[in-house]
Amino acid sequence: MKILIIEDEARIAKRLARMARVYFEQQLTLTVCDTLSKGLAFIEHSSVDVLLLDLNLNGEDGFEVLEAMVARPFHTIIVSAYTDKAITAFSYGVLDFVPKPFDEGRLFQAFGRLNTKSKISDSGLKYLAVRKGGVIKMIEALQLNYIKGAGIYSELHLQDGNQELHNKSLDALEQLLPSGEFVRIHRSYIVSLKQVKKLMIEPGGKYAVHLTDGRLLPVGRSRYKQLRSKMI
Amino acid sequence: MQKWRIFLFLQLIVLAACHRDIRYDASDAVISQPDTAFTASVQIDLLEKKFSSSLGLQVHSFGAFVVYWDGIRVGQNGVPATTGQPEVPGTETSYYQIPDKLSGLGKHNVMIRGTQKYLLETERNVMAKPESYLKMLRQPLIELSLVNLMAGAFLIAAIYYTFLFANSRHKQRTTLLFAQICFLFFTLLAMEYLKYYIDIPYTQFYTRLIIVGWLTFAIAVLIPVYFAVHFDVPHKLPFIGILLAALVSIYILKYGHYDLTAHLYSLALWIASVLILLYALIKKQRGSVLVLCGFAVSMVINQYMFYDFGLYIAFTLILLCILYLQTLGAKQLEEAHHASLLLSSRLQLELIKKNIQPHFLRNTLTSLMDWVEESPAQGVLFIQALSQEFDVMNEIAERSLIPIRQEINLCRHHLSVMQFRKEVTYIWEDAGIQDDEVIPPAIIHTLLENGITHGIPSNGSSIRFLLTFLHADTHKQYTFEVFAENRVRSGRKSGNGFRYIEARLKESYGDRWNFTSEPFAGGWRSIIRIDL
Repeated sequence: MKILIIEDEARIAKRLARMARVYFEQQLTLTVCDTLSKGLAFIEHSSVDVLLLDLNLNGEDGFEVLEAMVARPFHTIIVSAYTDKAITAFSYGVLDFVPKPFDEGRLFQAFGRLNTKSKISDSGLKYLAVRKGGVIKMIEALQLNYIKGAGIYSELHLQDGNQELHNKSLDALEQLLPSGEFVRIHRSYIVSLKQVKKLMIEPGGKYAVHLTDGRLLPVGRSRYKQLRSKMI
Repeated sequence: MQKWRIFLFLQLIVLAACHRDIRYDASDAVISQPDTAFTASVQIDLLEKKFSSSLGLQVHSFGAFVVYWDGIRVGQNGVPATTGQPEVPGTETSYYQIPDKLSGLGKHNVMIRGTQKYLLETERNVMAKPESYLKMLRQPLIELSLVNLMAGAFLIAAIYYTFLFANSRHKQRTTLLFAQICFLFFTLLAMEYLKYYIDIPYTQFYTRLIIVGWLTFAIAVLIPVYFAVHFDVPHKLPFIGILLAALVSIYILKYGHYDLTAHLYSLALWIASVLILLYALIKKQRGSVLVLCGFAVSMVINQYMFYDFGLYIAFTLILLCILYLQTLGAKQLEEAHHASLLLSSRLQLELIKKNIQPHFLRNTLTSLMDWVEESPAQGVLFIQALSQEFDVMNEIAERSLIPIRQEINLCRHHLSVMQFRKEVTYIWEDAGIQDDEVIPPAIIHTLLENGITHGIPSNGSSIRFLLTFLHADTHKQYTFEVFAENRVRSGRKSGNGFRYIEARLKESYGDRWNFTSEPFAGGWRSIIRIDL
């Protein structure tokens, strides 16, 4: 596990590092950066699995930081004193928001979300941030038709017919997207429930969904029951 | 209150303007003047009497004399001179009661016989007017009640505005001017109607008129000056110079014509004021329209009412307009005061917020938890430092100026807290501090916070702060330096912190300060200069 901590208060950074070491034990690479620029420079050259991010870094506005971070392939956990920003942070697609002051229990709970496949059911994600040509573009979750996994990336298929490439894997996005609106129907597909017109059984015992735009997507055998229960 | 006064005033005017209740013809006086002794005779033809009470006679003449009605002596005014006895001068106006049996309709003869030792150079005019005796008694009372009402109001206004000026912190010239105008107007009314209170020997007849003239002169200068100051017109001095020249010319040209002079003075006043008001109207200044209307009405009244009253009512109207302008000024002061109170409480709140801001507390508490878990003894020191910072903050929260030492203490406590949080060594130094100096609260503290946020510890892990104080002849100066590498600041150049500092300086020093804050090689320097 490769963890990056971006936190300008030395004492709090130490605390996060100590607790992370306790949770992940041996299999941990830990880096602490006390400014955003150092953090960004680190991300460009090294791979990261999870980022622990403070929202206010030496007076810098946290949300510009956040947009830049959630577009990255790894999960971001916000550790911040600005508890009133939690809902907004979730809507941008963070895995968890740990309010300061925090104890071991709360931080471990956040770490727990990394491993379990369970979703943060009511995360309230509203935007997906896509990095394109150096700029960050915010895409409304409501504009999604379906998402197709493409190795370590995901293809976002939008209702207007456009496609965007997201840096997070389909597994990572599944964790972030609200379960009431999005369903994983296949190893390679997540679909927006609102766009599903009907569920079809094809010859040969194969399943498929018919989307409102006429497209057919395959449904995994093991996922059929879950999809049907959500559609009824 | 003011409304009622005006209402009562108007009622009295109606009462005073009663119709005539006697009709008569009177011949011009025939005066024979062998020497200083004189005899004057007036023929009066009583045509109609609408009253059944006694007939009275009003005589206007200089001198000391005995009055005869149809050959019967009805009274005397002063004591005429006789051989060996000097004259005791009478008053210019005197009143007599006519016996009922002699006051029938028809022709009557008034004979005035006496001496006039003084003021012989003035052309003598003798007048005799019959009138209801009762009315002659009542008329001055009615007039005086009106005039006293006005004069009393202006006396109170004069006293009130003098006290207001003496006791106010923002001494406004207009307040003092208005008090002076009110007082002059009160004096003018008192002088004009003094004749009803005391016997003025005819030898002093012109003294009163001269005083009235000069009072009118002064009012004619001060009212336009008031408007010039209130509406802040340009070229005040030349304008006032021209007005003065005009008034002096009137005085010289019309010397001796007392009523005419006063009338011309008030005309000059009117023209000068209206010019200023038109300027104010063009500049869309508050109150100019209403005051102009007041002047228009005063002109109409002055035209259509008989002399004395018309003039005084016109003056009263003008003064009421000025009073309105005064209240407008008071309202502006009140608004400014209110705004300053708001500013003070807003700043107070901002100061308190500095230390109880959730993110400050949460970050501090997170560090504190860590210290307690890792090193409880240090944790205790941290808690003490935090509580000391809170104590100082609490002490200064409601003040607009605090001793500089208290500010330094606040900074030192804040540094102890931040040292625990950031694990950076902060070094505080000060030089030239004078303990009796005061400073708005938390402004150095704000600069210190900025230094902590935007400074990267140089030479390993420390940041040094230096506060120096300089007391020069013309100004005081605080220089606050942060010795650290400057972080690249993105976005806004000056944040809430600078706005807080500037608002505090403005609150305490008005415009007598200067604040600069800029980087230098090896740190950041802020300078607060307060002009003396």
